[in-house]
Amino acid sequence: MGFEKFLFYCFAAITVVAAGMVVTRRNPVHAVLYLVLAFVSSAVLWLLIEAEFLGIVLVLVYVGAVMVLFLFVVMMLDVDLAALRAGFVRFLPIGGLVAAAMAVQIFLVVGPANFGLEAFPKPPAAPAEYSNTEALGLALYTEHLYPFEIAAVILLVAIVAAIRLTLRRRPDTKYIDPSAQVQVKKGPDRVRLVKMPAEGKVETP
Amino acid sequence: MTFDTVNLIPVLPEILILILASAVLLVDLYVKEAEKGTLHTLALIGVALALAATLLVGGGERQVVLEGHYVRDALSDALKAMILIVGLLVFVYSRDYLRDRGLATGEYYALALFALLGMMVMVSANSFLAIYLGLELLALCLYALVAFDRDSQRGAEAAMKYFVLGALGSGMLLYGISMIYGATGSLALDEVAAVVAEQGLENLVLVFGLAFLVVGIGFKFGAVPFHMWVPDIYEGAPTPVVLLLGSAPKIAALALAVRLLIDGLGGLQSDWQGMLVILSVLSMGLGNLLAIAQTNIKRMLAYSTISHVGFIFLGLLAGTADGFAAAMFYAIVYAMMAAGAFGILLILSRRGFDAEHLDDLKGLNDRDTWYAAVMALMMFSMAGVPPFVGFMAKLFVLKAVVDIGMTWLAIVAVFFSIIGAFYYLRIVWLIYFDKPTTDAPLTDSGGVRVAMSLNGLAVLGLGLFPATLLAICQAAFL
Amino acid sequence: MLDNYLPVLIFILIGILVGVGPLVLGYFLGPRRPDREKDSPYECGFEAFESARMKFDVRYYLVAILFIIFDLEIAFLFPWAVALEGLGMVGFVAMTLFLGILVVGFIYEWRKGALEWE
Repeated sequence: MGFEKFLFYCFAAITVVAAGMVVTRRNPVHAVLYLVLAFVSSAVLWLLIEAEFLGIVLVLVYVGAVMVLFLFVVMMLDVDLAALRAGFVRFLPIGGLVAAAMAVQIFLVVGPANFGLEAFPKPPAAPAEYSNTEALGLALYTEHLYPFEIAAVILLVAIVAAIRLTLRRRPDTKYIDPSAQVQVKKGPDRVRLVKMPAEGKVETP
Repeated sequence: MTFDTVNLIPVLPEILILILASAVLLVDLYVKEAEKGTLHTLALIGVALALAATLLVGGGERQVVLEGHYVRDALSDALKAMILIVGLLVFVYSRDYLRDRGLATGEYYALALFALLGMMVMVSANSFLAIYLGLELLALCLYALVAFDRDSQRGAEAAMKYFVLGALGSGMLLYGISMIYGATGSLALDEVAAVVAEQGLENLVLVFGLAFLVVGIGFKFGAVPFHMWVPDIYEGAPTPVVLLLGSAPKIAALALAVRLLIDGLGGLQSDWQGMLVILSVLSMGLGNLLAIAQTNIKRMLAYSTISHVGFIFLGLLAGTADGFAAAMFYAIVYAMMAAGAFGILLILSRRGFDAEHLDDLKGLNDRDTWYAAVMALMMFSMAGVPPFVGFMAKLFVLKAVVDIGMTWLAIVAVFFSIIGAFYYLRIVWLIYFDKPTTDAPLTDSGGVRVAMSLNGLAVLGLGLFPATLLAICQAAFL
Repeated sequence: MLDNYLPVLIFILIGILVGVGPLVLGYFLGPRRPDREKDSPYECGFEAFESARMKFDVRYYLVAILFIIFDLEIAFLFPWAVALEGLGMVGFVAMTLFLGILVVGFIYEWRKGALEWE
């Protein structure tokens, strides 16, 4: 138990430090990379409570896809670094106040008084062949079927909204349509023989 | 695991909306530019079918299906029907505006239908999970719709603000939900209610969770001090979208508050009552005072919304069945009045021109007597002048507050609504006693006049005979 | 059960060591004599012409977000595939519906040309 606890504190510390770096880094790309670190170390925290599937999904979806999107956005925005930093000192007191309030509140709520071992006893150890991915599947597609289908609709809305807001036809770009290229027939599409009347004698000076 | 298709019957309205929204999306891909009008028809058919289905499967005993995530009861029947009716009005009013600006695409109708679907999911939610997903579905559609006019910089800015603040509100709500889940160990509202009844105020986690829930609800309603997004979004978004997001979602937000605060955390009423008092007084005060200073009518109506939200909270905080019924009555009535008022703005707009200043309403009476009368009616009703329905709504809410002995609160409410009456009556003055600045024709083809007349008559008729609607509302909280 | 992950942990530690070690060694052992010319930005022998940051085309964003959506769909498929035996017909229909809704989105993006790179 001791070693797991040690690992937990290690990775929790990495998560917190990385999260702090995210908001204090000057360069937004560095901030995104620290966010990746925060996600990876929280994935380890999931692993430590034996929720492997969630840990892997965190890496797969957040690190693999969402962070790539973030990088694109960061690059797309052409961020003016000076302007970004301008408000930092000014908003530091109020931001610090909110953070402190949140910390105190989390301390009050998520303490042993409310979530200690008496309120939430340690669950019995799972048998060796137990798969929590399967357990998740059994719960998700039966008990939570309705929210699951709503999630599909939300994803559909995301597709529609993203396309509507960002897709623009560009009639001015020149590009080659591969399917049209492939469909070219041997005869008239490739070579066109043009009959031309022979010209008369050309005077050479 | 057994599954019965009978379980799906109460969900029929949602299923119909989903099918029609998908159909709109797909039909849009295959119809020619000249035939885009079919999308409008299809959307109307979808909402009408869902409305019919709601009335068909509605009534009778409370049903809980889909493993406890979905509930159909008197509250959900009434609210869904009203959401769909307002949805119909929205589609009818906004057709010309969208067509003239090339915005009447499949995406608009699909997103609007999905937004309606989100509201219906919220109204019928019986678990934290369903309510949150419904809320997100609605919110995502609205974010996209606010930015729908891609070439409008104001729209993009408004969408950005809406998105950031909306995400903050959702985050607060989710944080509260996670705490309550931690404290009670359940996401189902009835199980949460049982645990709350047992533990009550003993549990600090519940109290903190509740505080975050109320903050989230405040954000979604746009109550002071979580109202920052409302005026900017109303001003920046295209008017049809403001019409959509200013009317029916208020009904859905009421459902959100009722499901979370009453169905789920009814046992903590003494806690949330105090928070709602603060939200309510601030909203009524600030909303009415700031509305006076506005020259942009969309902005003015935004502040007016905030003040009406204060009144809705008055009914909720009363904590009695009568109070909840009064709040529900108020939300429904407000959605109708808002639909009418923004509908008139759409009629006044035309190709290349958006009616959004108070001056644009000048002399409406000389341009079209009937619309002028309807607009005046909406304004009188919002101001709470008898015999219009807005007066009845305010009366019921105030009565509920007085009944629990908070007379001071009722006096404050009356005071602020008298202040508020000024800016509503100023509009009536502009309509009747000023000369029109233009004589451009109004845009109202395709049943707009019929819909607007029905809308106006409903506001008048419900004011004279509020008993039926009130009875429906009271039946929801028996 | 967590014992199974011990090799992964050791792997991570070695990975960090191999990645960070040379950097640290280089920092301490390498000669560093910076001057103004060495530290100034460099562009093929010229002074830098413009800021290295430039605007990305928004189309990358579209591709990325469409990728995320279908990535999420895959994430939903994993537990379904693992648990399918216990789920029976209901689970199968549930996933069919889920995929059906997303197929609507797929048809939409295909026909709109969002998957084409002009």
